[in-house]
Amino acid sequence: MTGHTATDTTLSQSEIEYIYEKGWTDGLPVVPPTRERTDELLATTNRPADEIIGRLDHLKREVTVELAAINSVMAGCRPEYFPVVLACWDALMLERATVGGGWQSTSGPAPLIVVNGPIRERLGFNSTGGVFGPGFRANATVARAIGLIVRNALGIVPHVFEQATQGIPGRWAMCIGENEEESPWEPLSVDGGVPAGADAVSTTLLRTSEYVDNRHTADPEKLLADFADTISRTGSWIFRNAAAGIVFCPEHAQLLAGAGMTKDDVRSWLVTRCGRPTADLVRVGKALTDKGARGDHGEDERAAEGFEPLFAEDSPKHLPIMVAGARNAGISMVVRLFGIWSGISARVDPTPDGL
Amino acid sequence: MLDEGRFDHILDPTGLSRRPAQRSSAARRLPALTHARVGLLNNTKQNAGPLLAELGRLLARDYGATVAIQRTKHTIAFPVDEPSLKEIAAVSDVVIVGVGDCGSCSASAVADGIAFEREGVPAAVICSDAFEVTARAMADVHGAADFEFLTTPHPVAVLNPDQVNARAAELVPAVLARVSEAVADKVPETAS
Repeated sequence: MTGHTATDTTLSQSEIEYIYEKGWTDGLPVVPPTRERTDELLATTNRPADEIIGRLDHLKREVTVELAAINSVMAGCRPEYFPVVLACWDALMLERATVGGGWQSTSGPAPLIVVNGPIRERLGFNSTGGVFGPGFRANATVARAIGLIVRNALGIVPHVFEQATQGIPGRWAMCIGENEEESPWEPLSVDGGVPAGADAVSTTLLRTSEYVDNRHTADPEKLLADFADTISRTGSWIFRNAAAGIVFCPEHAQLLAGAGMTKDDVRSWLVTRCGRPTADLVRVGKALTDKGARGDHGEDERAAEGFEPLFAEDSPKHLPIMVAGARNAGISMVVRLFGIWSGISARVDPTPDGL
Repeated sequence: MLDEGRFDHILDPTGLSRRPAQRSSAARRLPALTHARVGLLNNTKQNAGPLLAELGRLLARDYGATVAIQRTKHTIAFPVDEPSLKEIAAVSDVVIVGVGDCGSCSASAVADGIAFEREGVPAAVICSDAFEVTARAMADVHGAADFEFLTTPHPVAVLNPDQVNARAAELVPAVLARVSEAVADKVPETAS
């Protein structure tokens, strides 16, 4: 026996059902957010409970530190995860889409959350095998907490203000630790302005992710050409330019670094080469107009000349690069950015007791 | 039935202590559109501009209205900014807003319509019928749950110019009924 009585069990079950009936869950059971549990999370930050940390004026909704804590309890976060949730939320609010109409978009985006620093080890964030989950409480519940905050505190509920046509696989579940130990390069958070070795969270909205499996070549340029092909496909390209990130597996990253390439070298190589002949874009009805939009205006692909670069800029905002996963195969992930990354990582505040 | 009292110890994760106060949004309708000044607010969605322009043309040709002002929203996802709202309302007897044809812009178009009505200008808001639920929810958020908007079949963005004109013609009776007490004689002939 664990000490639970039949009455306790009945109550917790009915609490869970009550929360379902209120429409406050993402479809899975949640931990009932009591005052006591919420206060345990609030005790991990010096920030006042009523501090407003996000708002959507057009929906007349606000997010406070307390609402973030309530939703984090529901998501299953341990109290010590809460500073990571807050840092993630701060970073997310620096994204142009999240303070605009992004959450309501038919594209149904969701954040990719990347955790750097010693906090990965301390709180148990997975950064190696199966990094996109599931199976690890810190990764799973931090990502889920963000989803519940958006649903409950911002009121972005599916079929109402959340108008995703399909939404992206892995929505509210993409929180990864960067595999700094096996990465040959500086952490992503350094690109986001936080010194290496500090606890930090970086995040941007994704539209999807797709693997590049290349266990076939040791030639760095052939390997990168395989990435360029995936990055350059027309289906995900809707405006003048597009943006993408890469979550390299350690094997691919080490192969490139072993050939003397820095992260900037890799990015520059790809930015120069990713794109399509104009005729390819005309063929799929995505001809570029002089106003910078794409569409089908009866253009003739045979008359189309030139090459259109996919990336607008050679910068981590347009092509963020990070390393995660196990060192057991050459399988990496191209991630499709909803817009561009803010380029700013958020530090994770130490808890009041210094942990 | 939920026994709410039994769950008082569970905190509300939404921050909504109560529904937004509902207040009237309806401006006075015009008796007819003869000599009425029409304002057009384009939300930048694909085909919104041509659809509104054709609506304006038909209302001028068949009902004696005049297109007084055409403006384009700065941000598609948000309700119209206050200076633009005042500018359009100052020179318009009726306003047409469209086209709500995406997740965020359908909702914000409805918010625009409510704002114009509260300025005293009857407004016809046109949304694609695929976004009816989100548009309705937005009306509720802005305290005008019964605000009437017009729907047109989805999709709008991929229509060719003739099809856009046909849509405009189909919408004329509804626009007329929405902003005035006049009744359309018939669906107007289109140029095609």
